[in-house]
Amino acid sequence: MMKRLRIERAAGQLLVARPCGPSTPGAALRSSYKCTTSQVPVRHSSSSSAAEAEHTPLYEEDGTDHARFPPLEKLPPNTSALPSPLPSRALESAKLSALHARLSLSPKIPLQTLARTLVDASADPNPYFNNSSLAFLGATIINYHASEWFMVHYPRLPMEVLEAAMTGLAGPTPLDRIAKAWGIEPAAAPGGEVDPGLLQFSLDQPGETVRGFGYTRTVVDKINKNNWQRSVAARVIYEDNLPALPSTTKAKQTTPAVAEQEEQQQEEQQQDDSEVDYAETSPAAPKFSPTSYGSSTTRELSEKAHANFVRAVVGAVFAHCGREAAKSFVKAHVLSRQLDLERLFAFKHPTLELAMLCAREEFDPPVARLLSETGRLSRTPVFVVGVYSGNEKLGEGAGATLEQARLKAAMHALKAWYLYSPGEGVKVPSDVLGQEEEEAAAAGGKKKGGWEPVYIDIGELISR
Amino acid sequence: MAVKALHAVSQGRNGVGAFILQCKKIDLHYCDWAGSSRGMNGFIKSLLPKFAAAHPQIEFTVSPRPTKHPVAIGHYINGRSKPICVRNMEPYEILKKLELLRDASGEKLKKVTKPVRSINQSVRGIWSPYHGNGMSL
Repeated sequence: MMKRLRIERAAGQLLVARPCGPSTPGAALRSSYKCTTSQVPVRHSSSSSAAEAEHTPLYEEDGTDHARFPPLEKLPPNTSALPSPLPSRALESAKLSALHARLSLSPKIPLQTLARTLVDASADPNPYFNNSSLAFLGATIINYHASEWFMVHYPRLPMEVLEAAMTGLAGPTPLDRIAKAWGIEPAAAPGGEVDPGLLQFSLDQPGETVRGFGYTRTVVDKINKNNWQRSVAARVIYEDNLPALPSTTKAKQTTPAVAEQEEQQQEEQQQDDSEVDYAETSPAAPKFSPTSYGSSTTRELSEKAHANFVRAVVGAVFAHCGREAAKSFVKAHVLSRQLDLERLFAFKHPTLELAMLCAREEFDPPVARLLSETGRLSRTPVFVVGVYSGNEKLGEGAGATLEQARLKAAMHALKAWYLYSPGEGVKVPSDVLGQEEEEAAAAGGKKKGGWEPVYIDIGELISR
Repeated sequence: MAVKALHAVSQGRNGVGAFILQCKKIDLHYCDWAGSSRGMNGFIKSLLPKFAAAHPQIEFTVSPRPTKHPVAIGHYINGRSKPICVRNMEPYEILKKLELLRDASGEKLKKVTKPVRSINQSVRGIWSPYHGNGMSL
């Protein structure tokens, strides 16, 4: 999940202001479009264009008092022919500057860049005017910081759970919720005349939408068709490293689940319910958004556009303010959200897995012992079972049958192993990223500075 | 055989990490002619520029609404809005109302009987009837 950052390459083109030239397919399309309609104003993606102050007469010919009734915004002719608003209009948008202040963005980030982050690839296919490059940059930064956080704080997480945790913290769904918690409003339809402070994406022509980030192998279709096995690592490295959450029907396990697994799912549902409840009383996501209705496809497109906006904002913070600012932004907005890792585990044979763990770690084989019980012959019996390795108690569980209690105890023991954490204040690799060269320079090249891991796990217990 | 994963989505907690002001827009409506708007007109002329400059994260719109009482409407991130009629109020009274709109979360008003709500796990853990020495009868 830790992909190497190639940020210089992704950020470079943003800082170079250039008019749209026919260097990319999208740009070529745009220029040919311009030839046919000569009245379309020429767009420049320059971030320093100043707004032209137009002098309006105090009184219209029809006698309208402009001091009392200011005229509507004068748009350049044929603005509505453009796919997205002109960058120069960003300076006049109240919504945009309010968003800039709401996110406490640095004044180094110009409003034009923020306006560009709000233009999805489905609204404007030209890569010099949409947010796809910024979103790619932001996605790498968010994924990097989330994965390093998980790897350092929970070094023993199995790959599958790590992937689920990453998807739950930095995938499209949580990023969509972040965008909605920032008060982003989608425009009814994209176009040159809409307010640059609205999120613009097209539900009609989703063909131009960026499907995902990263390289996709040509064999993927074959793999999916033939149902071949592939590991999480292969999927992360070779394909889209954070796929969208599966729909709820898919997430439901059809295999005969163990007691706690069912219980976990019930809890999960309860959690979902409580989240809705929480959203009502807390400043989380809005209850109704203009795109909350519609088909599952349009909802998915909306989610993707909102997520790409958040990624693009992170990319913009990186491009204009640097590495540290981007890191603290990700920390404040993405990593600060709460995700209960305990709920992500689904064990199939917990007792067997615990036995194999004990064998690998050269502990005594685990033994389940009945600690206490009540009401064995009643309608509601309770058994408390502990799992012991020698004299050490590894885990304990209570259930209505002896079998259930034993499985729960084994699951608790396994969770205690997998969720080992060296502590809250542990340094992650990016904490010492800048110090490395400084320390090496201070020590005259003798001392090798850098990040030292607190704990490295030897690996997953059972790998496929 | 290996551990499988379930899916969950992280929950946001405003103020942990970053704080986002929930009021995103305030609409101010006035009337030039009616006497009930006198305070509102004074507020717009004298106090609003300073208030708006102090709150860049809120979008302000001022628009006339002839022959109607003046209103201040707050729009919130959760999609709700909160209108307050400010007829016959003095400018400083209107300022108080705007501060109220700014500080509101946009939720419906409800009585808070338990002032602390949290989704964090309990530090002490959940009480279990199966542990400890039990009760002696």
